[in-house]
Amino acid sequence: MDNFEYILETEHVSKNFGSLSVLKDINLKVKKGEVICIIGPSGAGKSTYLRSLNQLEKISSGKIFIKGDLFLHREKDHTVERIDKKTQQKLLLEMGMCFQRFNLFPHKTVLENICLAPIEVKHEDKETVKKEAMELLKKVGLAEKANEFPNRLSGGQQQRVAIARALAMKPEIMLFDEPTSALDPELVGDVLQVMKDLANDGMTMLVVTHEMGFAKEVADRVLFMADGIIAEEGTPDHIFNHPENPRTQSFLRSILNV
Amino acid sequence: MKSFLKGLINVKNWKKKTKVTWIIVLVVIAVCIVLSALKPSEADMKAMASEEMQAMIKADEGSSRKRVTVTYNSLIIVNYCSFSTSGAKEVTEKYVGFVGHAFQADEGFGKFAGQMVNYTYRMLGCGENLLHGAKLTLLLTTLSTAIGVVLGTLLALGKISKNKVLSKVCGGYIFFFRGTPLLIQLFVIYYSVPAIFGFAWRDLFAVGDTQAVYKGAFIAALIAYGLNSGAYCAEIVRAAIQSIEKGQHEAAKALGLSYSKTMRLIIIPQSVRRMVPPLCNEFIMMIKDASMVFAISLMDITTISKNIMTSEISYIVFLPALIIYLIITAFFTWIFNAIEKKFSLYE
Amino acid sequence: MKKMTKIVALIGAAVMCASVIAGCGNKTEAPAAQEPQENQTAENGETTEASKYDLSGIKLISDGVLSVGEEVGYPPFEDFAEDGVTPIGYDVDIITEVAKRLGLEVNIVNTAWDGIFAGIDNNYDVVCSACTITEERKESMLFSEPYIANYQAVILKAGNDKKIESFNDLDGMTVAVQKETTSDELISDYKSTGTIDVEIVANEKILSCFTQLDNGEVDAVVVDSTVADGYLAKNPDAYVYAYKDDSEAEYFGIAIGKENTALKAVIDEVLADMEADGFIADTYSYWFGVTEE
Repeated sequence: MDNFEYILETEHVSKNFGSLSVLKDINLKVKKGEVICIIGPSGAGKSTYLRSLNQLEKISSGKIFIKGDLFLHREKDHTVERIDKKTQQKLLLEMGMCFQRFNLFPHKTVLENICLAPIEVKHEDKETVKKEAMELLKKVGLAEKANEFPNRLSGGQQQRVAIARALAMKPEIMLFDEPTSALDPELVGDVLQVMKDLANDGMTMLVVTHEMGFAKEVADRVLFMADGIIAEEGTPDHIFNHPENPRTQSFLRSILNV
Repeated sequence: MKSFLKGLINVKNWKKKTKVTWIIVLVVIAVCIVLSALKPSEADMKAMASEEMQAMIKADEGSSRKRVTVTYNSLIIVNYCSFSTSGAKEVTEKYVGFVGHAFQADEGFGKFAGQMVNYTYRMLGCGENLLHGAKLTLLLTTLSTAIGVVLGTLLALGKISKNKVLSKVCGGYIFFFRGTPLLIQLFVIYYSVPAIFGFAWRDLFAVGDTQAVYKGAFIAALIAYGLNSGAYCAEIVRAAIQSIEKGQHEAAKALGLSYSKTMRLIIIPQSVRRMVPPLCNEFIMMIKDASMVFAISLMDITTISKNIMTSEISYIVFLPALIIYLIITAFFTWIFNAIEKKFSLYE
Repeated sequence: MKKMTKIVALIGAAVMCASVIAGCGNKTEAPAAQEPQENQTAENGETTEASKYDLSGIKLISDGVLSVGEEVGYPPFEDFAEDGVTPIGYDVDIITEVAKRLGLEVNIVNTAWDGIFAGIDNNYDVVCSACTITEERKESMLFSEPYIANYQAVILKAGNDKKIESFNDLDGMTVAVQKETTSDELISDYKSTGTIDVEIVANEKILSCFTQLDNGEVDAVVVDSTVADGYLAKNPDAYVYAYKDDSEAEYFGIAIGKENTALKAVIDEVLADMEADGFIADTYSYWFGVTEE
């Protein structure tokens, strides 16, 4: 079944906003089950990179492969390789995403939020979806909130619902875009716990984060991004204890000494 | 929609104030029913005519030129009956009926009360078909606003769509209808369009239908008002849609929802609440704009009140007009508030 | 089940509210005066008279019915009776009698003055609404022979002794007219040619002109003498009849579609008969309180 070497692969991914180049030739290969944390100063292009992976940002050039299949290909001269829409949609659904601001649908209850996409996009049976959604809610510890509207929940609870919503589509890769940055400090723990559980279950995860503790504990690999490039990458031990790149060193010093 | 109606109707959810309001309304209705049962009958009222008047009415029966107009207006708890001859030497007799008695209403408070009943009755368009007075105003405004909302939503989606041609066409439509006066649009639809295409609006209805002209004019008015309202609603809908934060689009896209499903399931439902207050304004404007139908022979509240002013040289005619407008506006403001509340449940 | 009851109860309440808002109890029967208005076909066995006229070749929108466009709201020519639905007035009497003698039913269509002539042949067969016969109008429609003569008159507020012997005497005054009427054209002409310096207030409704006169906002009203007769008959103490321009009569006719020559011919015949048997004179004195000159 798994006839691919890397579950996610990007080749020469670049992105420009006008003359400003935000991503410069990023190459990354991710194995199934790997947890990758992306750290770096703000403006480094971490979020942009993550969002380019599922087309929320349009890349200027480069190739993206999902499970060995070409998902996106754009050349510098703006030529785009046409990829079958169905394949593309299928590959897109292999990725689930959690946002910094959760982006739950405020007019739907928690349960409806989770069930919406499986029913509307995958056309799955409503009752089955509901049952699975309740399972997911139990998993994130919010089963009793199923019929609440999102705005009645705390930020941490909302983010857990958002994770459940993404998981309901049964993705193979989860993308987290600073999932705890908008949370009050005391609410961060629950969300991180859910993410840890997910990592332990063998989910492939790309996490843009400022939670160095989480990165140290959970990540298989840490990428340090600065100025649109991956400045340094390695195991958590390497990055946090023996960083080689002076930029990594100064970044870590600045955040750890605060 | 079904659950929305249920929510509106579910008495348990009502606040105490709402309950009190309803009790008052029901009591008022009950009192009205009792009083309306007590008021004199039509026959009693008509029997009030003086002997001379009776003689004139009798004389009319034999003649092919009727000179006496007998008016009988029944308005909930009171009724009004008048006998009037026309011509340079007018003779009139007026009576107001209330709780079992008929009072002479030729001067003083009786006259005032009689005029109020008569004017209100006429402005409401009682005893006539739907194309008169308040009934016309309500029918025209609700239908054309309904058309406007549907059309406006489509136009707004067209205008914000990535298809440049569609966007330009919708933008042009909105610009045109917002940039030209409604009265002129009404004239164009009613006069120019049939002239160009060689038909008459009355042709839409059966030959021999004495109301065909009015019905045709109503259809023309409905089209003009609907098209016009569409342009204004489009801007309201567009502003509401664009006020929904980008994150909602992104979340939907990340979940694989198509553009149309994102709009239909995520964006538009959320924008409804933001549309309601400006749509309410638009609707109330429409109620006032409805008076322009006088230009194509229809009689709405304003036109009828002007007509009464001309023929009776009476200035208190505007009092019932104002009250009727206020009641209509209050009623619809209440409905719009209920809709807004319903859609803001989650906030 | 409970919910159903509530829904039903609420709908009931809503209907009641609606009926309160709609205001009316039962739909009352059409007032007595209205019926004969509509059924005034040869009900008095005057079919013999109808046969006097040759109706072949006339075109009507619906067979057996003469549809008449009128701007109802110009007393005493056409106005609604107090019941708000029955058109009454001089024109109404005239055209009803014309239709009756032709053996036709009459259907009066209330329409706005603007565009009234555009509706001929579309919305109604003829217009009988105090229309002055003018050369300009004759180019686009037919007119019957006149059924009433009309002059331009100047009305002042009671107590104003100013002598008006011609329109030139309006110099320096503020004058109210009804918009787009002959009076309006006449005074505007006097002004634009520089004959007199006059401030013109053009109103939508003739009533507004008289109100402005009452309130002292204008000094004089220029109006059709017939309308003036009607107002003065009802308010003899409020106004004075200052001047009537006998030199230039204008005539009101029934406007008929350009192609409908057969209809014009029979209407002219009927009007001549009505003039001969005194019907028109009777009607005139009934509505204007004075005898036609």
